[in-house]
Amino acid sequence: MRQNRRKKKLIFFSVLAGLLLATALFAGYLCPYDPYAQDLSLAQQPPGPEHLLGTDRYGRDLLSRVLAGSTVSIYASLGLVAAVTAAGTAAGMACGWRGGWLDAVVMRAADLFLAFPSLVFALAVAGVLGGGLPNAVLALGAVGWPKFARLARGLTLAQKNSAYVMASRMSGSGGWKILIRHVLPNIAGPILVTSVLEIGTMMMELAGLSFLGLGVKPPAAEWGSMISDGRSLLQISPWMSLAPGAAIFLTVMIFNLLGDTLRDYLDPKERERNRQKKEETKR
Amino acid sequence: MANYILKRLLQLIPLLAGITFLSFALMRLAGGDAVTYLYENAGAAVPEEVIAAARAEYGLDRPFLVQYLSWLSGMVTGDMGVSYVSGQDVFDTMVSKLPATLLLTASSLMTTLLLALPLGILAAVRRGSWADRLIRFFGFAGNAMPNFFAALVLMYFFSIRLGWLPVITSENLAASLVLPTLTLALSMASKYTRQIRATVLEELNQDYVTGARARGVRESVIIRKSVLKASMLSILPLLALSVGSLLGGTAIVETIFMWDGVGKMAVDAITMRDYPLIQAYVAWMAVIYVGVNLLADLACRFLDPRIRAGGEEG
Amino acid sequence: MKKTWTGVLLAAALAAAASGGVIKAEEETVFVYGTTGYSQEMGDAGLNPHENYSGWSAVRYGVGETLFRYSESMEMEPWLAKSYEFLDETTVEITLREGVTFSSGRAMDAQAVKECLEHLVQTHDRAPYDLMIDSIEAQGLTLTIHTQEPCPALIRYLGDPYGAIIDMEAGIQGEGGYANVAGTGPFVAESVTPTQIDLVKNENYWGGEVKTDRVTVKSFADGSALTAALQTGAIQGAYGVQYDNYALFEGNPDYAIQSCATSRCFFGQFNFDSPLMQDPNLRQAVEMGIDKEGFCAVILEGRGVPAAGAFPDSFSYGNQAVTAASYDPEGAKALLEESGWTDTDGDGYADQDGEPLTIRWLTYPTRLEQPKLAEYAQSTLKDIGIKVEVNNTSDHMTYAQQGDFDVYVSSLTTAPTGDPEYFFTSTVTGPKNYGHHQNEEVTALTETLHQTFDDGKREALAVELQQKLLDDHAYFFISHLNMGIVTKANVTGIRAYPCDYYEITADLAVE
Repeated sequence: MRQNRRKKKLIFFSVLAGLLLATALFAGYLCPYDPYAQDLSLAQQPPGPEHLLGTDRYGRDLLSRVLAGSTVSIYASLGLVAAVTAAGTAAGMACGWRGGWLDAVVMRAADLFLAFPSLVFALAVAGVLGGGLPNAVLALGAVGWPKFARLARGLTLAQKNSAYVMASRMSGSGGWKILIRHVLPNIAGPILVTSVLEIGTMMMELAGLSFLGLGVKPPAAEWGSMISDGRSLLQISPWMSLAPGAAIFLTVMIFNLLGDTLRDYLDPKERERNRQKKEETKR
Repeated sequence: MANYILKRLLQLIPLLAGITFLSFALMRLAGGDAVTYLYENAGAAVPEEVIAAARAEYGLDRPFLVQYLSWLSGMVTGDMGVSYVSGQDVFDTMVSKLPATLLLTASSLMTTLLLALPLGILAAVRRGSWADRLIRFFGFAGNAMPNFFAALVLMYFFSIRLGWLPVITSENLAASLVLPTLTLALSMASKYTRQIRATVLEELNQDYVTGARARGVRESVIIRKSVLKASMLSILPLLALSVGSLLGGTAIVETIFMWDGVGKMAVDAITMRDYPLIQAYVAWMAVIYVGVNLLADLACRFLDPRIRAGGEEG
Repeated sequence: MKKTWTGVLLAAALAAAASGGVIKAEEETVFVYGTTGYSQEMGDAGLNPHENYSGWSAVRYGVGETLFRYSESMEMEPWLAKSYEFLDETTVEITLREGVTFSSGRAMDAQAVKECLEHLVQTHDRAPYDLMIDSIEAQGLTLTIHTQEPCPALIRYLGDPYGAIIDMEAGIQGEGGYANVAGTGPFVAESVTPTQIDLVKNENYWGGEVKTDRVTVKSFADGSALTAALQTGAIQGAYGVQYDNYALFEGNPDYAIQSCATSRCFFGQFNFDSPLMQDPNLRQAVEMGIDKEGFCAVILEGRGVPAAGAFPDSFSYGNQAVTAASYDPEGAKALLEESGWTDTDGDGYADQDGEPLTIRWLTYPTRLEQPKLAEYAQSTLKDIGIKVEVNNTSDHMTYAQQGDFDVYVSSLTTAPTGDPEYFFTSTVTGPKNYGHHQNEEVTALTETLHQTFDDGKREALAVELQQKLLDDHAYFFISHLNMGIVTKANVTGIRAYPCDYYEITADLAVE
């Protein structure tokens, strides 16, 4: 029953997230206007039938810019999370499986990068290599993977001694084969959940860097830099910041809810606990 | 306990070495050094001998590792060079601005706890009620709000519309602290409210609670005596981890509210490519972060009999 | 546990109340002034007039005063000096005001001024070339300056903020953005940092009663924060409010706006070391691809005037005296085609050998409208097929000096002394010629200008020089700006001057 409801919820949020991805993918076709076309005679128009979210100081259509901005914000975050998840998981699994010096070296490196607060590290990288999206992604990636490495290592260690892995080892399967065939599917759940929950965080950090002028540069439509641009007009044309702000807010919320639902759906321990609780309340 | 502390401190040494080395090496990636920068602004061409002499004076002709070690010893003794831009001593600048950032961080942590604990417990105890729903909704909302956007919205309503609070740092420190603190605390509190709710729910299902209930102990007493402590213990390490995102977040929030701390200093330094300051900032932030986590770990160990009994495993 | 929390809250509330309610000494009037014009990036942090542009800060915030000052019509008026007389072409005799003392307590006499000016020409970068001082004689209150060659603009240059007279015996305390000095002005700095200056009234000010007891000058890197601070009352006066925020104060009885036209000019210079920019057609196309009118009317919200030359209309050698390329996208395209730049791959940008026509546009964010100009020009230049890569950085000086740009857009007060010479000596033949434009005629004419006494001839030379620069397509001038100070309505005695030097004076009062 309950699981059924979870499933429905999961489908619902997956559809929402899918819609976001589709929007980002087809932004070019969805924009009612060219997001970069300036027309000063239309500057700072409030939201109306012509321009649903109004226009900015250069007369650019905000709806189009928010849509175009979704491509950068969503795909940069997704790409980043995918990369750190893959790298972290691979490193963690290798460490957990092999142990020994490999484990020691990689995990110490992970500890080292974990010691840097991610935005602080990103600021440093921006300071050295200059701003821009690639550098921002690089910096957040460098401090992002250890989280997954630790998680994957722990999960792999737990699997390593399980009966079925023992069995396949006995039957003479090679290490890599076991890792990919048997271990990975078993540890993928928690990693996927962490990964989805990380999307929102990464998106906000990337936007934060753009807000500081260290991420995506104008005139590129990007939510963080759009908010920063509209900041001086917050009192006069508030829609200029509110539109991209709402876009980040909704997107992050959808990915977080998706991650949460996914966790509830996948985590049997939590499920069990909830059932107990339910029985208890019945009593 | 003393043994354990000693052991943890010893483990810290390679980590600190790694942090400082990375911070140092990172800035070297930038290419230029103090001397290049010094003569960049000279206008006319500077003879090679002069540059070489200046390099020697700054110790820049020595091997990389030697330079690192001298920088490291400087970090401990308070000599981290001078800022390219202002010509001020880097260590003094850091020291003069660090308290503001630490104050902001501490007040944000306090506010987070003050918001999250009561709300989280309330949501758990009244599970499924409208209060729980509302708290959970705001939990999700707060968590999805980027701090720079939250800052603008808070500023707009509380300072400009209502005129209650100063928009930038003013003489009235307490009032100036409110908005930056709220900005930072908002998303953290959202996260921890959910965390605490989950922990409390778990605790309420424990045998000892059932036992206490059976003995007729009042619910409020159970919450106060047992559950609160357990939930505090469970979020303490997480809270310490959050200090990381707080320290990063202060960079943005300090810039918006003109809070004169190291975060704003770092952002300004980046735009001016003031490498010695950035270097010092990164290294110190990482060290503080590691230190806070160590303290939290020790505190948990000290407070929680279960872990203490669990042996010396790190 | 509940009690403990209540306790914590109470303590916090008490602490808030205590620090909020600090009682200021009675009847002390305080003025807090926010400005985007004071910062390390601007080169004017600190109060040492002998360093970079810090003299502006010394004069603007009422610490230092110059021998002569500029009136509202940019005429010279006596200030610390009473009068002057050219004894011959290279000798000028200046009579100083009596009864002026430095905040250090020393009386200002010719000897003190001599020491100060000698230190100035020893250490400052622009002053020695402007002033051409050979030697100075001091006797009582009479100062005689001998120049190396005829220096007709000497008196005007002495009004430049670097000429603020300070007590060299008291010396310069602190360095760079922390430098404090003993001047003669209505205020004395208690503390100086690159972000804030705390001033107290000079009790012994020679010019009469100073109406405000304390002034705090706060540096704002950010225009939004400045506006909000003024609205919430954190500051009572603001310099550098963004043009797009004037709408909030205009017609509002709680605020007063002081505004006046200045010679501050947004202008661009092309980099002649860049192979691309050596093509005059390309340079002209860039000029013709920029819509100055639209920029002034919409982005500057009418607070800027489209420029043709370096000087505003109010000067006889201003905009109307020269002709510059006007906004003409079609003409620009034709020029590009002439040089072999057409869009062959249909990506909207003209190209050659498969490379799109890309120019690097260097500018900096402290003048808040500059990045907006860049973004706007990016769009209008795209229309004619030029791709613009904007490098908007506070570290622009480094890039400019390294020649890492094609177009460098900056802003400058082109006639800070009400005389045209400064623009040419500083930016065209001087150290600010980052684009390394060279034209022997221009150099020769600038030299002539430097030595000409007759005002009419100087004006004619200024026109000729500007026209040469425009014909070379070496520089282009985008707009002249109005300067404004927005204050709370109860603030009086603060005015906007065309020279942009005088802000905090003895007349400043908060009612």
